[in-house]
Amino acid sequence: MAVAAAVATALLGLAACGGDDENTSSATDEPVGTATLWARDNQKGFINLLTGAYNSSHEGKVKVSVVPTGSFVQKFGTAAASGSGPDIASIDLVYLPYFASKGVLDDLTAVQDELPWKDSLSEAHRKLAVYEGKTYALPFTAEASVTFYNKDLFTKAGLDPDKPPTSYAQMLDAARAIKKLGGGNYGFVMAGQCGGCNIFEFAPHVWASGGEVLSQDGRSAQFDSPEVTDALEFYRTLWQEGLMAPSSKTDSGATQGSTFQSGKIGMVNLGAFFVQTLAADHKIDFGVAPIVGKDGGTASFAGGDEIAVTAGAKNKAVAYDFVKWATDEQAQTILAENSIVPVRTDLVGSIYGTDDDRYQVLGESMSTGRTPYSVVENAIINDNNGPWATMINKAVFGGGDVKAAQAEAQKAAQAIIDAG
Amino acid sequence: MVTTLSPTPRTATARRRPTPWLTQRRRRQLAGLALVSPALLVVGIFFLIPLVMTFWMSLHDWPLLGEHRWVGLDNYTRALHDRNWLDSVMFTLKYTVFITPLLFVSGLALAVLVNRPGRPARVFQTVFFLPVVIGFAAAAYLWLYLAQPGIGPLSDLSVHAGLGTRESNWFSTSAGALVVVVLMVVWKVTGMQMILLLSGLQAIPAEITEAARIDGAGPWKSFVHIVLPLLRPTLALVLVFSVAGSLLAFDQFFIMTAGGPSNSTITAVYQIYRTSFINFDLGYGAALSAQLMIVLGAVSAVQMLLLRKTDFS
Repeated sequence: MAVAAAVATALLGLAACGGDDENTSSATDEPVGTATLWARDNQKGFINLLTGAYNSSHEGKVKVSVVPTGSFVQKFGTAAASGSGPDIASIDLVYLPYFASKGVLDDLTAVQDELPWKDSLSEAHRKLAVYEGKTYALPFTAEASVTFYNKDLFTKAGLDPDKPPTSYAQMLDAARAIKKLGGGNYGFVMAGQCGGCNIFEFAPHVWASGGEVLSQDGRSAQFDSPEVTDALEFYRTLWQEGLMAPSSKTDSGATQGSTFQSGKIGMVNLGAFFVQTLAADHKIDFGVAPIVGKDGGTASFAGGDEIAVTAGAKNKAVAYDFVKWATDEQAQTILAENSIVPVRTDLVGSIYGTDDDRYQVLGESMSTGRTPYSVVENAIINDNNGPWATMINKAVFGGGDVKAAQAEAQKAAQAIIDAG
Repeated sequence: MVTTLSPTPRTATARRRPTPWLTQRRRRQLAGLALVSPALLVVGIFFLIPLVMTFWMSLHDWPLLGEHRWVGLDNYTRALHDRNWLDSVMFTLKYTVFITPLLFVSGLALAVLVNRPGRPARVFQTVFFLPVVIGFAAAAYLWLYLAQPGIGPLSDLSVHAGLGTRESNWFSTSAGALVVVVLMVVWKVTGMQMILLLSGLQAIPAEITEAARIDGAGPWKSFVHIVLPLLRPTLALVLVFSVAGSLLAFDQFFIMTAGGPSNSTITAVYQIYRTSFINFDLGYGAALSAQLMIVLGAVSAVQMLLLRKTDFS
């Protein structure tokens, strides 16, 4: 009798535990208690303001841990694998297909469906969050790539500072005119040793010309497409005619911004974060234009972060509540006030950079921006020694055949995709 | 008193006869074991267990996330045909062959220079040793800035020396990049080798060199025939350190060249890092690490053997 009672109690205890877990997993449960959030150190500027606003207006609390940017993927991956990860994570959108495919993220399809504004969330973000028909993250912050140009240098070189180039040929002409000024001036600068920079800065040239670098489903690489050839040859001309700053060949992303800030560079492709840097600097009168295609057309890389709930989250109720709140007007306005491009296409015009028309170009670029989808993005694109970075480095700065460099990279990238 | 004491020796002798195992010798062995056990524990937890785990992982297809799967020796056979891996091994060997004599000669020269009494020698010894105190990554960033085209002071110096223009980018060729990295490493590591060799030099009894001088040996002859042979044990130590360090090179290339230009400066450890933490292929990375470890062990063993007999001379 006593034994039976003990067993029953134990079973009840177990049942209660199980019930608890199910309750916290439910989106409809009362969001109380504390959830943990991992963000990267380059988000330090705004992430605490955001959680502060949430914590003061909600019963549930969110606690932030800041992880170094360079090791976020590894740290989050290992933590998730061992079950010691956070409840919520802000993840660079290019890594979402990878994490979603490995089952470390919670299915947020139902959570996203509850949002009245779900259709006006950045399309590129929504696409990247989907794996096998389910949504694993909500759009959080946006970033878009554009061409920055130095208006003073344009004027000095006899170019119209209000008419930025609209094709490769016009960019070349502008670069040649600026180089002709002498005095260590260059037409263009890039980070030639950086894979992640060039999907952001170089790939839009390809897209604007109607080409692709990866198929829609990410199952096949298209590094050998003719549009990629054109863009590589365009950059090669910039380099071989001496129109590109010498640091371009070896920059792994650390110096191209400051090189443009020196005031001796005509054009550079960078993102929204750079508007703030330049504006705070007050040294350069700069313009912002969309990245152009071969004979016109424009495109942009839609970057930024998505916010996800981990599969092993302990406080899912608060986590669900927070990720929903992160996309609403209050949260997105806080982001916009801190110079982060919002992910709400319905709000971007009214809350982001309303006092500076240069921000408008970024807002528009975000709405139409694209992001390649791949579960092995890190290995084929972001690796500074991977196929994408190697192809660009060889084709632009090496003396060899452009098509041979493309073919080699195509083969290497496809091999990585096929190996999964 | 007597009655209470008397049973004690009796039981003691009775006990000693059937179980004489706790002898003085055994007692000392046990005490010894107890004393080394903390060290054994540390070695076990931080060296042996990870070592075995690395080997275990190397026999699996082991992604960072997701299920792992037994593949036997597949990772090892894959490495034999992996162009990237073989290239990185070749580059590491090239770097090691290039830098070891440089480090050794400069370290020995500095040691001979500062091996004299007096305050000035101590000051120079300190100056030469200072770069050792800086972290490797910090030193790499420092030199990356120094050699940056357009803004680095080294490019300014080279203009004055007629070696190039303000805009020349030394990292743009693999030879140039290698030279800058090697200069940085020599600057950074020579001081350590100097101190080690200096302690070896100071251990040579003054009578021997004095006797050689009386026998008519000049400074060069006594250096070659007296100092160098007596220095051999220290040389072995310095060479093993230097070769092992060069074979494990990573941070200087990761920071200063990012493997470029066109992947021509990727070392073996860099390739292991890429495999494990960029491609998330931990199993294959572990197999590459195991191979590197075997090579490292073999190289050190050969060096030890070659230089060993002098320990008894």
